Amino acid sequence: MSSFLTSSFMSNIFGGLAQGVIYSLVALSLVIIWQSTHVLNFAQGAMAMFATYVGMTQIDRGLNYWWCVIISVLVGMAFGGITERVLIRPLYGKPEINPIVVMVGFLGVIEAATTAIWTSTSRNIAAPFSQIYFKADGKLVLLSPFIIFQIILAVVIMMLVAALFRFTRLGLQLRASALAPEVARLLGVRVSRMLTIGWMLSAGVGSIAAVILASGSFGLFPTNMDGVFVAGFIAAAVGGLDSPVGAIAGGLIIGLTEQFVLAYWSPSVAPLGGMIVLVAVLMVRPHGLFTRSVSRRV
Amino acid sequence: MHWLRGLRHQETTLTRLISVAALTALALAVTFILPPVANSQLAGGAAITIVILGLSWLIGWSGQISLGNSGFMAVGAYAAGIWAHHHDTTPLIFTFALATVIGGLSGLVVAIPSTRLRGPYLAGMTLAFSAAVTPLAQNFSSVTGGEGGIFFNTLTTPAWFQHFFSGADATINANAQWTADLAVVTAGLMFFIMANLFHSRTGRAMRLVRDNDVAAELMGVHLSRTRTIAFVIAASFAGLGGALYSLINATVRPETFPLTLSITLLTLMVLGGIGTLSGAVLGGIVYSFSSNLVSHINSLTGVNPASNLGANMQGIIFGVLLILTMLFAPRGIAGLGIKLVKLRNSRAVLASDENVN
Repeated sequence: MSSFLTSSFMSNIFGGLAQGVIYSLVALSLVIIWQSTHVLNFAQGAMAMFATYVGMTQIDRGLNYWWCVIISVLVGMAFGGITERVLIRPLYGKPEINPIVVMVGFLGVIEAATTAIWTSTSRNIAAPFSQIYFKADGKLVLLSPFIIFQIILAVVIMMLVAALFRFTRLGLQLRASALAPEVARLLGVRVSRMLTIGWMLSAGVGSIAAVILASGSFGLFPTNMDGVFVAGFIAAAVGGLDSPVGAIAGGLIIGLTEQFVLAYWSPSVAPLGGMIVLVAVLMVRPHGLFTRSVSRRV
Repeated sequence: MHWLRGLRHQETTLTRLISVAALTALALAVTFILPPVANSQLAGGAAITIVILGLSWLIGWSGQISLGNSGFMAVGAYAAGIWAHHHDTTPLIFTFALATVIGGLSGLVVAIPSTRLRGPYLAGMTLAFSAAVTPLAQNFSSVTGGEGGIFFNTLTTPAWFQHFFSGADATINANAQWTADLAVVTAGLMFFIMANLFHSRTGRAMRLVRDNDVAAELMGVHLSRTRTIAFVIAASFAGLGGALYSLINATVRPETFPLTLSITLLTLMVLGGIGTLSGAVLGGIVYSFSSNLVSHINSLTGVNPASNLGANMQGIIFGVLLILTMLFAPRGIAGLGIKLVKLRNSRAVLASDENVN
């Protein structure tokens, strides 16, 4: 058993899953926004990175790690809500290029401003879990307490989001406003408030992903979410932008693919692995794996 | 002035040729006045103009949102750079043609899976492409020179051009201006080609596909072929622009083509005016002198250019400009210009109506 755990195959599985849950969270946050407002938020990664900077640098002031995590998520949620109100609200009903361009511009502003405030030097955020790998029979298993924490936290967040949408009144209102805004409004749901809440929720989930990424060996720097955002988008597109389950599955698929490309070919071509999966999936199912096939309205 | 307006209305290939030639000649005349530093900036702006022409064609006329044009630029630049590094006696025009063709081919590779996608899916897919290109270039470092890139020098100023210059810095000044003139002429040529493409059969089909793809299909337009052609043309423009840009800097390196370059290209295109030819030129001019503009703003606001904020001022200003333009003037500078002309014309019509009465 232990030789199985220390095999290179299993270590790739562990590495792929650890990376995959981060992609799943980013993909999930993209799907939440897409479902409610039909905007692909290109600044999602940068917004989460900024919130993480605000929250996690409080460690320098002697604050406890967990309080910093909570501050990061709250700042992220507030940031998401304000962004929807100020930048996205004027663009509903405009051509689909308009919100894309605005969010690409916002991405540029956030990254430049973050570099201006905190410099581009990478920081280490010390998580209260060891990053040292476990050993079995004197050989390394590519799992550390931190990686286990990372996977568990991600799964808990996913389950919380699922429970919110499935079992609460707020979740029902959110789903109703996404599915049929007119009907929901007639039935007394405050749809515009739901859109803002959707953005806040999404930004909160994104912030968790950024916090996990920054606490690991990757570190925190102004462009640290760029690659993760691209992978998260690929994951969401593979799963189908309308499907939260698809987003999570897509994240794991992309994480594992990148890990195996990295291990058996070269680290620098790992992003290419995700792209090849995306192309293959979209050739067969242009709307992703997990969406019911939709015919486009004419 | 009436004969001029009449000329505009019956725009033909000949009138286009005359106006582009006049504009290019004007730009060439300007290079004789500008200092060498400004000439180098102008050369970069001309290369970027070529890229924006392609981007504007792709986004504005065919309605396909691409964030991958910095990737196409990198492909063209590496094609030209690798060739020029090994065969430095090749005529420049051949190197340019090679970059254009290889750039176009990379566009074809991206277009085959991408033209089935719409809107944000397409934008994300092309973003993933431009994110994958530079790591790929670094991976094959024996050919591409890895992180350090490739150096080459093919832009040699001919002897007859050197004669215009004298004094201590004659060679440097001659080189800067020769580079700028070459870039301006290339940009003028590509502008002329794009102006004709806009009004060609393909261009009209492209707009119909953008506005109503069902109607286009009913009229016999092949949808995916038209969308693929749009991509290939945009990518070959980007390839040429990228090659020109690198030849000006005499080096190709991965860090010349970061992900933020796609944002810069998009900003310049939106600022100039999506889907307009004049917008692409305006975008190129803004790019040329953006560093002057930023340092001017820095000195106005009293920000130390060596400080952290000063170094990132350009990114902040470009992003804010992109957001503000899209929110308040989505048609850009060219759009504002067109609006002003229309307003004046309608006033003129009103005035002439009053005269009749």
